[in-house]
Amino acid sequence: MIQFEHATRTYGSKIAVSDLSLTIPSGELFALLGPNGAGKTTTIKMLVGLLRPSGGVIRVCGHDLITETRSAHLHLGYVPDEPYLYDKLTGHEFLRFIADMYRIPRDLSQEYIKREIDRFELHEFANELAENYSLGMRQRLVFAAAFLHDPDVLVLDEPMVGLDPRSVRIVKDLLKSKTADGMTVFMSTHTLAMAEEMADRMGIMVQGDLKFLGTVSELQEQVDVETRSLENLYLEITSRPTGRQKASSNDI
Amino acid sequence: MQNQLLDIPQENQLSRKLRRTLAWNVVTSIVRQSRFRFGLVLVLSLIFWAAVFCLFYDAFNFIDSMHAEVMSLLFNTFFSALMVMMTFSTGILMYGGLYRSEESSFLLTCPLRAEAIHAHKFTEALWFSSWGFILLGSPMLIAYGIVRDAPWTFFLLLIPFIVTFVVIPASIGSILCMLVVAGLPRLRLRALSISLGIVAMGILWGSWATFSAVQSQLLTAAWFEETLSRLAMTEQVFLPSWWLSSGLLDAALRGESRDLTYQSTLEALKFLGLILANALLLSLVASWVARWTYRKGYSNLQAEVPIRRHRRLFWLDEVLSRAGSQVGNPIRLLLVKDLQIFRRDVTQWSQFVIFFGLLGLYFYNLRSFNYTHVYASLIGHLNLAVVGLILSTFTTRFVFPSISLEGRCFWILGLLPIRRDQIIWSKFLFSFVGGLIPCLGLIFLSDSMLGLPWGTVFVHLTCCLALCGGLSGIAVGMGASMPNFRESSPAKIAAGFGGTLSLVLSAMFIIFIVITVGFTNHFNLLHQTVGQLHGNTASWLLGSSGGQVASILIVVPVGLLATFLPLVVGIRAFRQLEP
Repeated sequence: MIQFEHATRTYGSKIAVSDLSLTIPSGELFALLGPNGAGKTTTIKMLVGLLRPSGGVIRVCGHDLITETRSAHLHLGYVPDEPYLYDKLTGHEFLRFIADMYRIPRDLSQEYIKREIDRFELHEFANELAENYSLGMRQRLVFAAAFLHDPDVLVLDEPMVGLDPRSVRIVKDLLKSKTADGMTVFMSTHTLAMAEEMADRMGIMVQGDLKFLGTVSELQEQVDVETRSLENLYLEITSRPTGRQKASSNDI
Repeated sequence: MQNQLLDIPQENQLSRKLRRTLAWNVVTSIVRQSRFRFGLVLVLSLIFWAAVFCLFYDAFNFIDSMHAEVMSLLFNTFFSALMVMMTFSTGILMYGGLYRSEESSFLLTCPLRAEAIHAHKFTEALWFSSWGFILLGSPMLIAYGIVRDAPWTFFLLLIPFIVTFVVIPASIGSILCMLVVAGLPRLRLRALSISLGIVAMGILWGSWATFSAVQSQLLTAAWFEETLSRLAMTEQVFLPSWWLSSGLLDAALRGESRDLTYQSTLEALKFLGLILANALLLSLVASWVARWTYRKGYSNLQAEVPIRRHRRLFWLDEVLSRAGSQVGNPIRLLLVKDLQIFRRDVTQWSQFVIFFGLLGLYFYNLRSFNYTHVYASLIGHLNLAVVGLILSTFTTRFVFPSISLEGRCFWILGLLPIRRDQIIWSKFLFSFVGGLIPCLGLIFLSDSMLGLPWGTVFVHLTCCLALCGGLSGIAVGMGASMPNFRESSPAKIAAGFGGTLSLVLSAMFIIFIVITVGFTNHFNLLHQTVGQLHGNTASWLLGSSGGQVASILIVVPVGLLATFLPLVVGIRAFRQLEP
């Protein structure tokens, strides 16, 4: 479970995320949408512990990310938009490193590594150095590493970039089955169709404010546009002026 | 499944295992893919080690026979200077490793303690900042041990002494780095950088003043005495460098009896214990600082707002763009583009400014010394070689990869109405003109300060022209012949096979030019010091002007060959390239 309680993050005088309060229960796939510069990446960086909130609290499975960082990370899996791999490790060695980091017993870790290699079809290149991998291969390996320790919470930042259609299908099916088993998934994406297809709930962020929170059908009810496609709804919401924009225009 | 957190020994074990695997994979891939480069680096390192060993062996023999009492002072000066340099270098490396690397971003999202991530990056920085000490210090200390007929325990204690000592400045550098990042926001960080720059300049000035401000004639006994008295400030008992030099000097003592040797070895062990205790304490403090500041500092640094600057067209770009006909000449436009990239890439221009700036400072101060004609001629000649070598590092590090770096934008260049040859020529012109202006200036400055005759200045300037042309031709030609479009890091492109080959060819070219001029210099000196040489041809060839003409007749065609042969080969290869 993920909890944001009045989480705020500022960059100098600029408010990147403003007073975000949001609870994502176990077994839910949540999609965060928003235009460039809306605060999605800041939210994700706070959620994985790379950025500390200027105010408020963020909890992962009940653990405060500031005071119980390691315990929170133990429950987290993270797939960043630009995956990091050790170029001079093979895929297999990288997965072994992750297994050791989560202290998975040796007999179990062998089994888990094999499971992920099978699942993400890494056989052909698992014993090659990562420096020779294409973007798609890197992304598949990072997914395998994120799933290796069966995290309770999975954070995905633009997860489908670089994946071929077959891998996208594998990931989608896996996310559905894992959320059914109780995993919480927090996903940031620009792909509206993906959010529409996968998300139980979605949030639309504009200039640091969460402008909408709910299901796709709730979104359709809130917005009065003729063609109720998600794209139109999204464009309608993101084009509305925010509270801060209104305040600044009044000042002028 | 319930995952568990690693305890401290398990985290350390994980880090060691990761480094071991990475090191093994690096070595095996180098041996498999870059044998030539690996062999070359190994052979050159061994030659360098042997040369340093011979140099110190001779120097210690000389000092041991005449000035044995200054050994302690020399060791103290060497190790204290090293300590300052290692403190700064580790601080800078830790900043890059802890706060700017992708690996640290990855590790910070893993269930690891901040201290464990710090320890992992600290070990890496420690190795990077201390390899120079090992390469330079080990031949020096072994030569000292042999000259002083030190007991075997001295050689045994060398490694523990070096390893424990390097931890002290490295820990201080790391602590300073973390405290600065945690405590100071960006603007103050800039102010601190400027302050550090001023401090560094102060240290440079102090060092220079120590050697240059003495009134006595250079390299006389009085000059030596005065310089030593200025260096006595490094002999402070609270400095780790004093503990190290005292420990090593004690360890090298062979007493008249076995008991006396035993006693001095015990003294050395006490110093080793002192260094070890301080190293452990400081690494504990560094770990403690990491625990309390690292994550917070990392977050603060990530949240800093980048300063956005509106880039205007620089006057030189405008002049270059408008020079000549109104129709844009592709070479000129490509030159403007490369100039803009160079100006905005701090890595490139800062190294350029630092290296050539330091050389300029050194050349400018040459006038402080009263050299005899023989020394002045020799130093002027060596300065030519130094300028060539520094230029070759720039052409290999920055010019060679420039063609490969076009790879990602090759589709843009491919769509433009320009010929591929023009890309090569623009790179060559950029490198040639960019290198020629500072190099000619430096050589002229050096020769003027040394008061060399105009004939010699002319020869040196001609050689400089040949060096700039040849080195640019080799770097651009080789870069076009062996591009690496897959790699985005210029450092990695330069470190590949093509870059190494380019460096070797550049070094061979410099050696040839320098030796050619060196011979004429040598015969000039013979001519002036020994007296008239017999025989008309020999007298003309070896005489002052004849030798210079001969050297120019050799240097100019070789320079032209080194410039155009690689370029022609490179252009041919580049025309057939399918990126």
